[in-house]
Amino acid sequence: MQAIRVENLSKTFRVKKKEKGMAGSIKAILHPQTEEIQAVNGVSFQVEEGEMLAFIGPNGAGKSTTIKMLTGILYPDGGRVEVLGIDPTKKRKQLAYQIGTVFGQKEQLWTHLTPYDNFRFFGAIYDLSERETEARIEELAQRFELGDFIDTPVRNLSLGQRIRCEIVVSLIHKPKVLFLDEPTIGLDPVVKENIRSLIMQMNREEHTTIFLTSHDVGDIEKLCRRIIIVNAGQIVLDDSMERLKEHYLYEKGMEDADVSDISLEDIIMDVYKAEGRTAAV
Amino acid sequence: MLTAVRNQLRVCLLSVKYNIMREMVNKVTFLTNVCFMILNNASILVQWFILFRLREEVGGYTIREVLLMWGLTAASFGLSHILFARAFSLSELIIKGKLDVYLVQPKNVLASVMTSSTSVSAIGDFIYGVALACICGLGVGEFLLFLLFTVTGMVIFISFALILGSLSFWFVRMDMLENQMVMGMISFCTYPDGIFEGVSRFLLYFIIPVGIAVWHPVHLIVKFDAGTFFIVAGYACLLSVAAVAVFYRGLRRYASGSLMEARL
Repeated sequence: MQAIRVENLSKTFRVKKKEKGMAGSIKAILHPQTEEIQAVNGVSFQVEEGEMLAFIGPNGAGKSTTIKMLTGILYPDGGRVEVLGIDPTKKRKQLAYQIGTVFGQKEQLWTHLTPYDNFRFFGAIYDLSERETEARIEELAQRFELGDFIDTPVRNLSLGQRIRCEIVVSLIHKPKVLFLDEPTIGLDPVVKENIRSLIMQMNREEHTTIFLTSHDVGDIEKLCRRIIIVNAGQIVLDDSMERLKEHYLYEKGMEDADVSDISLEDIIMDVYKAEGRTAAV
Repeated sequence: MLTAVRNQLRVCLLSVKYNIMREMVNKVTFLTNVCFMILNNASILVQWFILFRLREEVGGYTIREVLLMWGLTAASFGLSHILFARAFSLSELIIKGKLDVYLVQPKNVLASVMTSSTSVSAIGDFIYGVALACICGLGVGEFLLFLLFTVTGMVIFISFALILGSLSFWFVRMDMLENQMVMGMISFCTYPDGIFEGVSRFLLYFIIPVGIAVWHPVHLIVKFDAGTFFIVAGYACLLSVAAVAVFYRGLRRYASGSLMEARL
C-alpha cells in the first residue's frame, strides 16, 4: 500500500524585489516589484509503506517546500497530495496524528523543560492517556538511551542528545510516516551513526515509512534504498540506490567495477553538474 | 466533539502551566517583575488623585469610575497577556515562519499559538486591576460584572491584536503597526470617554474598540443596562469570530521560512 502519493505538485512564492541602496528602498516603496519563484514545479512520486526514501537536492531545490506541503504546513498552488490516504490541505489535524516530523533546523522541544516533561506535553498533544504516555516514554527512553539526561533541562543538553529527544518527541504517538528534514545537521560522526542506527531500528521494528532529506551522503547511503533528486523544483532522478550505481558504472564504462566501491557523493555531484549546479553535496 | 474540546483545553492549560513554570525558574526576577508592574501602574494613578483634588469630575468620570476604568483595563490586559501573550506577537511568528511547529500538531493552530507564551509582568497588571476593583468597594453583583467584563475586554484585546497580526499574511512589516495600534488602544483605555468627541469618539467606539472593551463596561458596572450589556457581549463574540476567520484565511498564504530557531 502507498504511504505517500504526490501528483503534479506545485508551489510558487512571490518575493519582493529591491534595487541596491537607499534609493532602491525608496523606489521599492513607490513602485513595489515582486518576482515569482517556482519552488516546486509539477512533482509526482509515490512512496510505499515501510519504505525509506531519500529526497535530496541542492539548496533551494524545493525539498523542504515539498515536505512542508506533505505535512500540511504549506498549501500547494497546484496538484494533489495524499499521505496515508489523507489530503493534508483538508484534514491537517487528522493527518498529524499519523505522522511525525523532525526538522533539524527547527526545534519543537521546550528548552527550559526536561525531556521527560516535554514527552508528557507531547503525549497530551497526541491525546495519549497518562498510562500510554508513561509506557511510551519508558520504551523510547530505553531504545534511545535517554536515561542519563531525561531529567536535565533541554537547554543544558548537547546537540546530539537534543536531536535524540527531538526524534523521540516525533515518535511518541507511533507515527506511520516520519519526515526527517536534515536530522543530522551539525552532529559529529559518532552521533550521526548512532542516530542512523536508531532510525533503521525503528523502521525495522515499527515498519515506519521514512521520508528523509539530507545533504549528508552518509545518511542517504546508510538509511535509504531509494533516492529522488530534485533540482529547481523538479524531479531529475528517481531510482533505487543499487540501480543508480549500476547505471553510473555503465555510463562511465566501468561495468566490471564493484558497485560497493562507487561513492554516492560522486554520483550525486555528477547529477548536480549535469543540471548546472556545482554546489557541494 | 466534546472529547476534542476537552483535549484541546488540556493542552492549552498545560502550555500555560509550562510557560509560567519557565518564568518561575528565576524566583527573584519573577517576583521583581510582578511587583514592579504593580508599582508602575500605581504611580500613574497619582496624577489622577492630584487632578481630582482640583476638580469633582473629569470627562464625566468621578475618581471611583477612573479607578474602575484603570482596574478593568489592567485586569483585561493582564489576563490576556498571562494566558494568550503570543496573540500580541503573531506578526513576528508569521514573518519569521515560526508557525511550522504548531501546524504539524493535531491541535487547533490558533489556540496552540496563542497559549505558547506568557508575560510575567502581566500577572502584576492583573493583580493590580483586581485590587483596584476591590478598593472601589464593589458589591458582589458588581464584582461579578467586573470579572465578566475582564473576560470580554480580554477577548476584544486579543481579537483586535489577532486581526492586525494576521494582516502579516498579506502585508510585510505589519508587526510595527500591530504593536502601535494595540499599545495605542491600551493607552486610550485609561482616559474617560467624555473627553473624546466627534471623529475621535467614533473611531474609539467602532474602529479601535476601546469603548466596547472598557468604557461601556465601566458605565454598566455603575448603572446596569441590558441593551448595552448585549452590545458588549455581542461585539466581543463577533470580533472574535472575525479574528479567527481572518487568521485562517491568511494561513493559506503562510510561506514558512528556513531560519534556524529554538523554542525558548
